[in-house]
Amino acid sequence: MTTTAVSGPTETSPVPRRTRRPIAHKKAIAIFVLPFGVLFALFYLIPIGYAVYQSLLVVEREGTFGQATEVFGGLTQYILVFQNGPFWQSVGRVLMFGVVQVPVMLGLALLFALLLDSPLLKGKRFFRLAFFVPYAVPGVIAAIMWGFLYSPNLSPFSLVTENIDFLSAELVLWAIANVVTWVYVGYNMLIIYSALLAIPTEIYEAARLDGAGQLRIAWSVKIPLIIPAIVLTGIFSIIGTLQLLAEPQVFRSFSSAVTSTFTPNLMVYSTSAIPNINLAAAFSVVLALATFVLSFTFLKFTQRKDAK
Amino acid sequence: MHTPKRLGAIALLATTAIVLSGCSSAGDSEDSGSAAASCEPATEAVELTFTSWIPGIEEVVDVWNAENPDIQVTVQTGPNGNSGTYQNFFTQLEAGNAPDLGQIEYDALPNFRVQDGLVNIADCAGVADAQEDFVDWTWSQVSFGEEDSVYAIPQDSGPMALFYRSDLFEANNIAVPTTWEEFATAAEQVRAAGGYITNFSQNDVNQFAGLVWQAEGSWFENDGTNWTVDLTGDESTTVADYWQDLIDRDLVSTYPGWTTEWDNAYNTGEVWSWNSAAWGANSIISGAPSTAGNWSVAASPQWEAGGESSGNWGGSSTAVFTGSEHPYEAAQFAMWLNTSDESLTMLNESAQIYPAAVAGLELPSLAAGVDFYGGQAIYDVFSEASGQVSSDFVWGPTMTQTYNDVSDGFKAAVSGTGTLSEALESAQTSTIDALKAQSIPVAE
Repeated sequence: MTTTAVSGPTETSPVPRRTRRPIAHKKAIAIFVLPFGVLFALFYLIPIGYAVYQSLLVVEREGTFGQATEVFGGLTQYILVFQNGPFWQSVGRVLMFGVVQVPVMLGLALLFALLLDSPLLKGKRFFRLAFFVPYAVPGVIAAIMWGFLYSPNLSPFSLVTENIDFLSAELVLWAIANVVTWVYVGYNMLIIYSALLAIPTEIYEAARLDGAGQLRIAWSVKIPLIIPAIVLTGIFSIIGTLQLLAEPQVFRSFSSAVTSTFTPNLMVYSTSAIPNINLAAAFSVVLALATFVLSFTFLKFTQRKDAK
Repeated sequence: MHTPKRLGAIALLATTAIVLSGCSSAGDSEDSGSAAASCEPATEAVELTFTSWIPGIEEVVDVWNAENPDIQVTVQTGPNGNSGTYQNFFTQLEAGNAPDLGQIEYDALPNFRVQDGLVNIADCAGVADAQEDFVDWTWSQVSFGEEDSVYAIPQDSGPMALFYRSDLFEANNIAVPTTWEEFATAAEQVRAAGGYITNFSQNDVNQFAGLVWQAEGSWFENDGTNWTVDLTGDESTTVADYWQDLIDRDLVSTYPGWTTEWDNAYNTGEVWSWNSAAWGANSIISGAPSTAGNWSVAASPQWEAGGESSGNWGGSSTAVFTGSEHPYEAAQFAMWLNTSDESLTMLNESAQIYPAAVAGLELPSLAAGVDFYGGQAIYDVFSEASGQVSSDFVWGPTMTQTYNDVSDGFKAAVSGTGTLSEALESAQTSTIDALKAQSIPVAE
């Protein structure tokens, strides 16, 4: 009932206003946009511009301790990026991570959201909070906690961890995937759940009149209606996957299998520690572009499906 | 439509302004080159900032501040160098707001000098004359063996010796090894008794470098025109093969260093010895508190029976960073911090710092027995080791990268997918690449 009341006036009002006093509006728009615009430029456009600028420079020097001068080097750093084996291995690693972890995480988030939304479940408030609590734990703390849980000697479940080495080269990627899933399921669940709450209840009534059970409603009514929310969480997750840093960084001190080039962002971090800022900037730009391309491909792909 | 365009123009202007200022700040720093900077005292009171990670450094700085109202030092502490502080320093230098002074280990000095981060303080009053006051090899590290060059004041050194659980060695009738060959035999006996003789730490590449140092190897050379990288020399390979064999036979544990697991292994008596630096005395006290009184220190095992060679692991210096407006006062503080009896005594008591200053070696606090080590006067051992450290070991200009790459290879080796020698080989290649990527001349 409330949703129809809200959507009423917004549909009709803006049309006549727009033609009446255009100049005043433009100023108002400028003023309203200004705070965002300034922050956007300061913390987004300028840093990106600076990174791109840095990535186009190369260092020149003479002698073993010669003065460094930065000169324009065109795409020299980018050539190094494309020749860098460990970087592309790390990209491959996080892609594999994403292909497995994102569907599992979003599947769980969807399942929990549907359960919370279903009239069959008791104690919704408790479960909503319980699922969400891991997200309130800072990522680094979560990683340290899981690091101890996995540890062969210090784990409270050492009977298991002594026999299965979760920190070995074969398993550590999935051990990290588990940490990420644990942290972010609740967050994604909440986005999906709020989309579920926005569905008008009349639709359920109609479905029930047509003889649909809870499962059928979930599958044929709820899921199609919340696809945009799932796509959104999908994009967030793809971005998050490519930018994995905190968890693998913490796991470096728990596992011998996590190297300084384990994920693309760790690679950027260790390159900037050399310090080779120009190359690190080039890595970052390539990574940002890859993230951009992947997110938009995903969006286009899902939207096309939608249109049909 | 004008407004958004203007906004865009402003954003563009702001971008270029920042980009340009980035350019110019890089240009400004060019003056402070290899020639010693002129060093004049300030006419009024100055405030200095100093970053360090020594436990208890705040109290030492408080003493200086009380005695020198005109030179007030604010100290900031952080994680140890390679764990983050160096990265902060590099970023601060790039941004032009580095502290006046910072703690830098000897192995990182070339890295900072290549990045033009250090002020040559040779012309500051009393600095150049101080050469005689420091242990030879520490001075050659801060002067890079050059005339009229002093890029930092040596603080402490890390001569290596063998910390061992005397109670366990005694109870199991195992002789304390004096050569690496005996060490391997003892390793078998310790393993048979259910422990590990020591832990091979995959992330302590500088400890490994100390072992190569002891074997009279060196990883880098700098002839003034070119760097030479030699991670795979005979000495390095010998040391690598020796430890590879112990790892292969499961005679050493392989916990990553400085983790809770690693502390736990020492605290529970699973691991019995540690060939470490003088400052390691503090690490055992804080990491394995329940083993108090059970440790002793002996000279490091030698490659040849009766040999007298010692390695060094770590040790720091106090450097003045590019951009400091008060190099004179900064140098005065650095000299006091690293040569005065009161400072060195406090540093030794709070952090088991082993001074690089010759006079510091005579401190009463260094002659006393240490309770944690069963009352043994452990610094006698380190004093002997200190005199046996070769002054020829040279560090490379991208040590953070070299350490990371060797460590990545060591990690593979301890998890069974490679060897320590292979790790050194691949780090040899990647170090040369890293030097080339920064136009640092390197001979192949």
